[in-house]
Amino acid sequence: MSQETLQDFMGAWIGKMSEIVQAVTGSGPIKYLINWSRMYALWPVHITTACCSAEFGAMMGPRLDPERFGLQAVAGGLRQCDLLIVEGTVTKKMAKRLKIVYEQMAKPRYVIAMGDCACSGGLFHDSYSIVNDVDKLFPIDVYVPGCPPRPEALLNAVVKLREKIRREEVFAQ
Amino acid sequence: MTQTISAREETVINKTKSQFPQYIKETRIDSERRVTITFDEDHLQEIASWMRDDLGFDHLIGIAGVDYPTQKKIECLYLVASFSKPEFQDIILTLKAELARDNPSISSITSIWQSAHFHEREAFEMFGIKFEGHPDLRKLLTLDNWEGPPPMLKDIKFPEMGQR
Amino acid sequence: MTTTTQPPLKETSQSTMDVSVGPQHPGSGHVRLLMRVDGDYIVSIDPDIGYVHRGCEKIAEYRNYVSNIPHLERPCIIDAIHLNWAYVLPVEKLQGVTVPPRGKYIATIAAEMNRIMSHLYWLAINAGVFSGHTTIFMWAFGDRDLFIELAEWLTGARLTYSFLPPGGPRRDLPFGFEQKLTKLLDYFEKRLIEYDRVFFSNPLVVARAKGIGVLKKEDAIKLGVTGPVLRASGVEYDVRKVEPYGAYSDLDFRIPTFNAGDSYARFIVRLEEMKQSINIIRQALSKMPKGSIARKAPLVAPEGEAIGRVESSRGEITVMIIGDNSDKPYRVKIMNGSFRNLIALPYLIRNVHIADMPIIYGSLDYWPVEADR
Repeated sequence: MSQETLQDFMGAWIGKMSEIVQAVTGSGPIKYLINWSRMYALWPVHITTACCSAEFGAMMGPRLDPERFGLQAVAGGLRQCDLLIVEGTVTKKMAKRLKIVYEQMAKPRYVIAMGDCACSGGLFHDSYSIVNDVDKLFPIDVYVPGCPPRPEALLNAVVKLREKIRREEVFAQ
Repeated sequence: MTQTISAREETVINKTKSQFPQYIKETRIDSERRVTITFDEDHLQEIASWMRDDLGFDHLIGIAGVDYPTQKKIECLYLVASFSKPEFQDIILTLKAELARDNPSISSITSIWQSAHFHEREAFEMFGIKFEGHPDLRKLLTLDNWEGPPPMLKDIKFPEMGQR
Repeated sequence: MTTTTQPPLKETSQSTMDVSVGPQHPGSGHVRLLMRVDGDYIVSIDPDIGYVHRGCEKIAEYRNYVSNIPHLERPCIIDAIHLNWAYVLPVEKLQGVTVPPRGKYIATIAAEMNRIMSHLYWLAINAGVFSGHTTIFMWAFGDRDLFIELAEWLTGARLTYSFLPPGGPRRDLPFGFEQKLTKLLDYFEKRLIEYDRVFFSNPLVVARAKGIGVLKKEDAIKLGVTGPVLRASGVEYDVRKVEPYGAYSDLDFRIPTFNAGDSYARFIVRLEEMKQSINIIRQALSKMPKGSIARKAPLVAPEGEAIGRVESSRGEITVMIIGDNSDKPYRVKIMNGSFRNLIALPYLIRNVHIADMPIIYGSLDYWPVEADR
């Protein structure tokens, strides 16, 4: 066989295989298994932006114990994390680095915007050095209002995110 | 509210006036334990080193800039205090220098009070005051490539400020 | 294995490398430390701050005196009462308002509770997680939540109290507050003994922190550091004793001072301060006077300058306010402990091992949001 026909054959074969994989995992018990494993192992990135980080720390504490949901804050590096929690005000100086952190995470990745400042600018909306709309940087899955939100509100947001993961397509991202 | 002003604040003012009679423009006791001395900004190094060695004001609390656009001046305030001298331990002495608003510049005091390093960088960035002799005068707090004006000046109004 | 003597001064050779401990790092806020590294030794360090700079001082000129309180207490949210108090003291001085004695006692009790909460947060993250000790993280956060519950009962909010407008506290002590607080203090005193066994007397922590990052007394005075960093180097200076505000002139307490100046001394100073805070709260509860808690303050402040200072858990907070006969301040300048202690970071982290850097950084208790305002 010549080179072109070998390449065409391989391309068509790989395309057919990926279609079969997507069809098999797209529904049924394998989709349930993959989504179940994703939602029970959400590892957040340690990015304590501003004041809301005190309530994020309180959520990770022994009172609410998010480890029963799989939220373990022990990730060694960014490639192993799934969840980026934008806590607090995002300044213009930090926005560039936040985008780099988001792009370094491996897919599938989810974002929770915690606090009024991350949702829409909050108390400091008219400052000269902050970014008001964080969803221009990356898509946000769950918004948590509050200044700062109670740790129970943040845990509620994590539960809602898990519901969203359970329902979504396997290759959505 | 009666304020008991003790002799210690008077001592500070009298000693400074007797040492540098021609460099001191104005002195004022704001309230108890707060003294303000306005001086001629060209002789900052002499006054500061005498304050540190002879009077005993051994550390700098902070450097504040205040902008007065109508009077065309920027004031540079040095707040100093003393850890080691017991009779001056609770006094905050404010040394005030009045700089021209167009091109404010004053010599740096990092050789006298090391803690001025970061304070002068912030005042440079926020008000545009140039400190001559500072080892590393560059921006501290704002964006990396901020080319805008010094943010704290009164006539710099960012359009979104103050709107609800 | 860290030794107690520092290695000799090495000049920069061609084998140095610049490493950036970047803005995203676990536990602390956003600050970037540009390290110049030669093998396992850090030759020098250059802090790059400003990643959380929100322009608090500029915003403060656009809000009136009472609306400024939530803004200006956000920089150090875990120690919010002290920032609030430091802002309100010069405003009350300008306006000529005195707070009644009962209001001063209530503010003192809230401030000391906040000091305990802030030191527990420091213990959990800056001293615990940075040295790899996650047990103390869980313990300290669990106990901190008990104090937060009481503070929520007193003020209405978990962390951002906005409890002291000009004139006095907003609310009186609720019915039954004294009994619950006394019960919590008895429990917490026993817990501090267990903290000592698990963390402060732990041979691993002692080996990592003793003799590391020594700041001598003359250098501490020259650099102008403040707070527990100053007291661990042998200078006995505390604004609560030097210029008493609130109810501190009536109360009897010690100022823990140590002479070693190393990171372990900075750890122990904060443990002793927590014990003194328990002592202060107990005295204030027993000596609480009766009467009104606050006086009405005007909405405008006359012309003039006023400076107020308090001792927060990170150091001294000094606030200068210039009023101009309107309801908005002309200039608010905040000088807080984290920004003043920043000069100690490049001074102490020179020719140390890389593993010593988190210990020194954690012992200084640098809170980036407060330093950047």
